[in-house]
Amino acid sequence: MEEIDTSVNKKRSFFRFWNQPKHAAYLFMAPSIIILLFFMVIPLVGTLGLSFFDINIFFTGTKFVGLDNFIQFFHDQRAINSMWHTVYFTLLETPTQVIVGTIAAAALSRTTLFNRFSRSVFYVPVICSLTTSGIIFSMLLDPNIGWIPYVLHQFGMSTPQFFRDASLAMPSIAVMTVWKNFGVTMTIMLTAIQAISPSLYESAEMDGANKKQQFFHVTIPQIIPSLGFCVMTNLIGSMQVFDQIYVTTAGGPEFKTESAVQYIYSRGFSAPYQLGYASSVATILFVIIAVLSISANLYMSHKEKQMR
Amino acid sequence: MEARTASTTELVDSGKKSNYHRSRLIKSIIFKIVMSLLILIVVFPFLWLLLSSFKYEKDIITYPPHIFAGKYTFQNYIKVWDTIPLLGYVKNTVVFAGATMIISLVLDSMTGYALARMEFKGKTMFYYFVMVTMMIPFMVYMIPLFIEMNKMNLLDTYTGLIIPRATTAFGIFMMRSNFVGLPRDLDEAARLDGLNEWRIFTKIMLPLSKPTLMALAVFTLTNNWNDLLYPLILTTTSSMRTLPAGLALFTGQHISFYGPVMAGAVISMLPLFIIYIFAQKYFVQGSAMSGMKE
Repeated sequence: MEEIDTSVNKKRSFFRFWNQPKHAAYLFMAPSIIILLFFMVIPLVGTLGLSFFDINIFFTGTKFVGLDNFIQFFHDQRAINSMWHTVYFTLLETPTQVIVGTIAAAALSRTTLFNRFSRSVFYVPVICSLTTSGIIFSMLLDPNIGWIPYVLHQFGMSTPQFFRDASLAMPSIAVMTVWKNFGVTMTIMLTAIQAISPSLYESAEMDGANKKQQFFHVTIPQIIPSLGFCVMTNLIGSMQVFDQIYVTTAGGPEFKTESAVQYIYSRGFSAPYQLGYASSVATILFVIIAVLSISANLYMSHKEKQMR
Repeated sequence: MEARTASTTELVDSGKKSNYHRSRLIKSIIFKIVMSLLILIVVFPFLWLLLSSFKYEKDIITYPPHIFAGKYTFQNYIKVWDTIPLLGYVKNTVVFAGATMIISLVLDSMTGYALARMEFKGKTMFYYFVMVTMMIPFMVYMIPLFIEMNKMNLLDTYTGLIIPRATTAFGIFMMRSNFVGLPRDLDEAARLDGLNEWRIFTKIMLPLSKPTLMALAVFTLTNNWNDLLYPLILTTTSSMRTLPAGLALFTGQHISFYGPVMAGAVISMLPLFIIYIFAQKYFVQGSAMSGMKE
């Protein structure tokens, strides 16, 4: 009898221990933290580690090469070009998307039936995958059967090759990305605009500000934090552009639209399967993204202070 | 805003009232025209895709292109299953995106709950740990993740696809903000009633969090359903591909047969579109949440 009692007691005290919030919290968090640790943080450190090795996908002839991979990067024209293409895409896509999204949000901020319908429609491309968008746009822009070349032709313009034209391919991809994603920016900015207190507009009106002035002197300063957030997330997202290029041009023509992530992917996961070198390119891209986002963040918070 | 402007102007300048109304009407018409044009730009590609997927190949490849064809057919939707292993892709996508969604809802809300409503040692540290992982782009750690999965023999398995995505920092953040907003005395009263921590969480807190759970559900579902690079890295055989990865590999830059590919594209986006029609506000909520700053 006594033995059973102690085991029950043990069970009970065990349960009591883990039922205290200060202990239970660890049980609640354990699965998430373990997953994040094993499938994100450790691999992240792994990327830096792999950068110093010559290692291929079959794990044959692995050897430590020090900084060789990084030195090789600066002599690898295709790698450097892929970085430039990525920056070029980001410069095209991010400002356009933020501006289009913000204007759409400002224009549709009042809740009327027409505005609500427009908002729902503008969000539809967001739930469509970049793969599907890519398929649709490769057909719409196809010089032989596409609608867009046809419409341009009707207006007396020449019909360019879009995805197959080295100078037009990247802008075409950027426009397609804006088409697909501006609904996200619109949604975020809409929330910010609708949170602005009406009294601010009322007092601006009493000061005789017209609508344009109201937009620049009341709306914009109030939505700067959200605007900054949209610029940041877009910037970080654009620097990792992959899907839309993979589907539409696959980096062509002649690697003219190859992005950094795409180069990492093709270097590591197709011949010559150099995971070590690909990791060093990934490390470099990560550093660029980190520097960009930190400086953008500092600039935005500086602007924010200035505006207030 | 327009209504307010109108009333002030009326007071100040009633003489020009009709003139003012006319300019307002013109402005509103211009606004509607511009917006309708934008709606057309957004909708046309989808409508054209849907219509063309029911056309015969010869009606798709015409110049000048036509919106409507003389005859329509289901042929593409029949052919697509033979030309592309679409059924497998659909199944893989449903299993991967569906299971990931369910598991991450459970894990994210558990962690979010602990971070929001429990006091424990290292809470701030754990919070920052989660926030930092939110900023790590996938491409930075994809190569070692591939090696890890390879060593554990989890490449080309559902387990391998699901586990790394079974929790997200964003989901934890979202659930945490949700639980922070619930009244304090709820769990205290339940604790006095003798409910244990797990029961407080499942019986009291979770039922109150349904809207946020819904928003997070559609958010993770969409992300995983549409993701391309992730399944491309963690699957190597064609039979394990998800819809985006499979379709991307089948089309590439050289589309040789348009009809079936278009049918495949329609099938790949249809499920999310149907969910969107019924649960639109949750989709929008997820996006809006991502823009929230602490």
